[in-house]
Amino acid sequence: MKKPTHPSLKKYWPHALGIAGLIIVAICGWVISLDHQIRQQFEGRRWTLPAKVYAQPIELYAGQSMSIDDLQRALERLGYIRSAQVARTGNFQRKSNRIDLVSRPFRFVDENREQKTVSILFNENHIDKIWDSNAQELPVFRLDPLLIGSIYPTQGEDRILVSREETPALLPAALKVVEDRRFDSHIGVDPIGILRAIWVDVRSGSFDQGASTLTQQLVRSYFLTNRQTISRKLTEAVMAILLEVHFDKADLMNAYINEINLGQEGGRAIQGFGLASQFYFGKPLAELQLHEIALLVTEVRSPTYYNPRKQPERALARRNLILDLLAEFNVVTAKEAAQAKAKPLGLVNATSMRSTYYPAFLDFVRRTLRRDYQESDLTEAGLVIFSTLDPLVQSKAESALGNELDRLDKNTKRKEVTLEGAVVVTAPTNGEVLAIVGGRNASYSGFNRALDAKRSIGSLAKPVVYLSAIETGRYHAASIIDDAPVTLKLGSGNNWTPQNYDKKTYGQVPLVRALAQSLNLATVNLSQDVGLSDIAKKFEKLGLSEKPQAVPALALGAATAAPLEIAQVYTSIANGGFRTPLRAVRAVLDSHGNTLKAFPLEVTPVAEPVAIYQLQRMMVEVMRRGTGAAAGKQLGDLVVAGKSGTSSDYRDSWFAGFSGSHSVVVWVGYDDNQSTRLSGSTGALPIWTKIMGGINTSSWDQPMPEGLHETQIEFATGLEVNSQCEPTGLSVAVPDDAELTWRDDCKPTNTGVDAHTSGWLNGIMSR
Amino acid sequence: MTFISTPLIRYSVGFGMLLALNACANLATQLPPPAASVGITPPPPPPAPIAAPEPPPVLETQPIETTVIEPSVALSPAPNQKSYTLSTASRALVNQATTQRRSKNFVQAAATLERALRIEPKNPLLWLEYGALRMDEHNYPQAESMGRKALASATGDPHTQSSAWRLIADSYKARNQTALAEQAYSRANTLSPP
Repeated sequence: MKKPTHPSLKKYWPHALGIAGLIIVAICGWVISLDHQIRQQFEGRRWTLPAKVYAQPIELYAGQSMSIDDLQRALERLGYIRSAQVARTGNFQRKSNRIDLVSRPFRFVDENREQKTVSILFNENHIDKIWDSNAQELPVFRLDPLLIGSIYPTQGEDRILVSREETPALLPAALKVVEDRRFDSHIGVDPIGILRAIWVDVRSGSFDQGASTLTQQLVRSYFLTNRQTISRKLTEAVMAILLEVHFDKADLMNAYINEINLGQEGGRAIQGFGLASQFYFGKPLAELQLHEIALLVTEVRSPTYYNPRKQPERALARRNLILDLLAEFNVVTAKEAAQAKAKPLGLVNATSMRSTYYPAFLDFVRRTLRRDYQESDLTEAGLVIFSTLDPLVQSKAESALGNELDRLDKNTKRKEVTLEGAVVVTAPTNGEVLAIVGGRNASYSGFNRALDAKRSIGSLAKPVVYLSAIETGRYHAASIIDDAPVTLKLGSGNNWTPQNYDKKTYGQVPLVRALAQSLNLATVNLSQDVGLSDIAKKFEKLGLSEKPQAVPALALGAATAAPLEIAQVYTSIANGGFRTPLRAVRAVLDSHGNTLKAFPLEVTPVAEPVAIYQLQRMMVEVMRRGTGAAAGKQLGDLVVAGKSGTSSDYRDSWFAGFSGSHSVVVWVGYDDNQSTRLSGSTGALPIWTKIMGGINTSSWDQPMPEGLHETQIEFATGLEVNSQCEPTGLSVAVPDDAELTWRDDCKPTNTGVDAHTSGWLNGIMSR
Repeated sequence: MTFISTPLIRYSVGFGMLLALNACANLATQLPPPAASVGITPPPPPPAPIAAPEPPPVLETQPIETTVIEPSVALSPAPNQKSYTLSTASRALVNQATTQRRSKNFVQAAATLERALRIEPKNPLLWLEYGALRMDEHNYPQAESMGRKALASATGDPHTQSSAWRLIADSYKARNQTALAEQAYSRANTLSPP
């Protein structure tokens, strides 16, 4: 045994102990404060979960018009993988005229649907039969909807939370091998790893061996900046150890998987593997394959340096390195790794999962919800939003607008600026907004012309004038009006003398022709008889947000409206005079699947069925014999109705109209409001036609209301004819008590001519 | 990694503190582990009031749909008359919606009926169903509107037109508009005697 310490040192012992004690107390105080901080942050961590926005789901049912190729494309858009067997969620198999699939579990508003194996049998271009794995026939089946974006803060984090169950086992295994091999045993920091890093760095003379554990990385992402200081490193290590003391490894791994940054897109940070999986591959994390998981693990190191969309070779090289490591550490077999290495990166189309992909539509969604929710609810509370977007219609509208504007630009005189445009597509029967394009560059989230460009509506106003006229009971589709010069004294004391588009006058014409050919003089004369204030009220009833001023020029469109408002007006017309508020959102669910808010279907009658039916028929004639005839020819058998609009000096080119199941509004013009030299028929109509012809739509077909009957007239004069005397007669619907005048050569010998003639004369005189 | 480290910083961190840290960590109050697997607290309560109205009292009357969805087999329609029926898909959805309505899940029932309406938007029977749902919810103006929408789609089918007038009449009656209700009932009865 050694003797006790030298007596001279002995007297310093108490001091040394005291100092040491003080240091320990100080350190403990510091650690306790860190511990408090970490527990508060970790346990109270409210992940900021941006609201997720889904497109409308695709419904499948027997008898539906859909080809097997259509369904395959729809499944591929949803990230379903075609495979030899359908064993896994998100797989499908195609054999001759049948598709088998395993659907993803999904919580809809009206149903919480489990994963389901479903078979769909096709017969030519129709669905013949749908049944499940128990051979039970399904009358109707919904696919899970496409995730189209999220509402995240302007500069901020976007993420999709994944639970442990939704995480493929391969992912934590790969993360451990690549980032932190002793994760399961270390205490938050890894002394062995640090020693190894020192050794490697000293030997190589460089300092690039990282020794951060996953826990340290998590702490860094949670609490700390990336500043590299001793105190920061120390704090990080202490916090990592504290985290390990309080929480188990599985919790920490799950937190890491949800927390870490894996990409950046503009102002949007791609946080966590759940969102990264959608962002890079367009499908849920649970469905990823080995090579895809390896790529996500690649991004952990530096999502910028290994950006697979910008640096594909670099990302691929590291992905393959990781696959080798996984084989080396027996996470996968050498064969599996080799197969995965042979695969391409497999990225989803760079634009299809971008939150900026449907900026104009999402803008409308956001504005809708802002009435009921705080901005922070939308960007943080994990809401689930079921929107009405139809991705196929949206993409058709975007490409039609972009392509046609490119073509139109080539023919314009102005070279310094390009034409702009906007499109709104709705489903008239329920008011759902299927597509919104806010400008020719559809993925640019700037000025949303569909919502905010208030432009002069031109002749789009005419259907409202004609509807008001018919509703007075004094006019019908075949009534004769006078397309004659007119001069009106305005409130200002000035005179207003409108002219027709071609500066001609057409004399006595039926309503149907005046609308089809967009005759200004006839319309102004008619509006004077109908009453401007009634017409202004009708505009508001049909859907303009403000009642326009009841000035004489209103009849020719002296009012401004955004394309979305026009869509509301024309949707009301298309829906048989029933106004349904346009909706981009069906429902909002909280993160537990409870419905917070629904936007149910509402209808309000705003026009007489008998009048609206005549108007619709007249608008069909616009497409056959009038300003829309160019489209009518291209659309073949598809029956559509519409109206062109051109504002003064050709500043605005509009076309608005509908088929049996879609209503489409197109606007074309310059942002600086200069003349486009385009009429509604030459600018907007070709775009409108491309959209109508490119989507799966049905012909206009309304049942004729009681109280109307079909008759034939001469288009030019409105005189009654029959097919014996006039093969090109126009079929119109008129009220049962309407009195028409026979064309002399068609006059049946046994009819009371006088009564007809006097009725016709009265019609003229009443003006 | 995006940051650069010096060996001194990196290597000095781990060791010295280990023992003290473990001790201190244990000194720190042991709190229960987080309930959620990730240390996530449950999301905040709904940020806005739920839109669904108070469930109305149980309606004693027979729901309208039972008299409506069955095609009018008993009446032999005139040659130019129609008789609307539901497609298989719509019928399945209507049945589902009826179940949801009976358990007062009006929001869900509406969502289900809207699915059917997307499949058959012009089928007046579906508009009648939707109107019946609105009656259950005591939303009488919308019930009437749905009746009028059904009426506009039911041209040529007196039985369905009659049901639409009956729905309109019920909505008037519920709002104590007796005269209008009587008129509407009489139109319903003229089209198809009860």
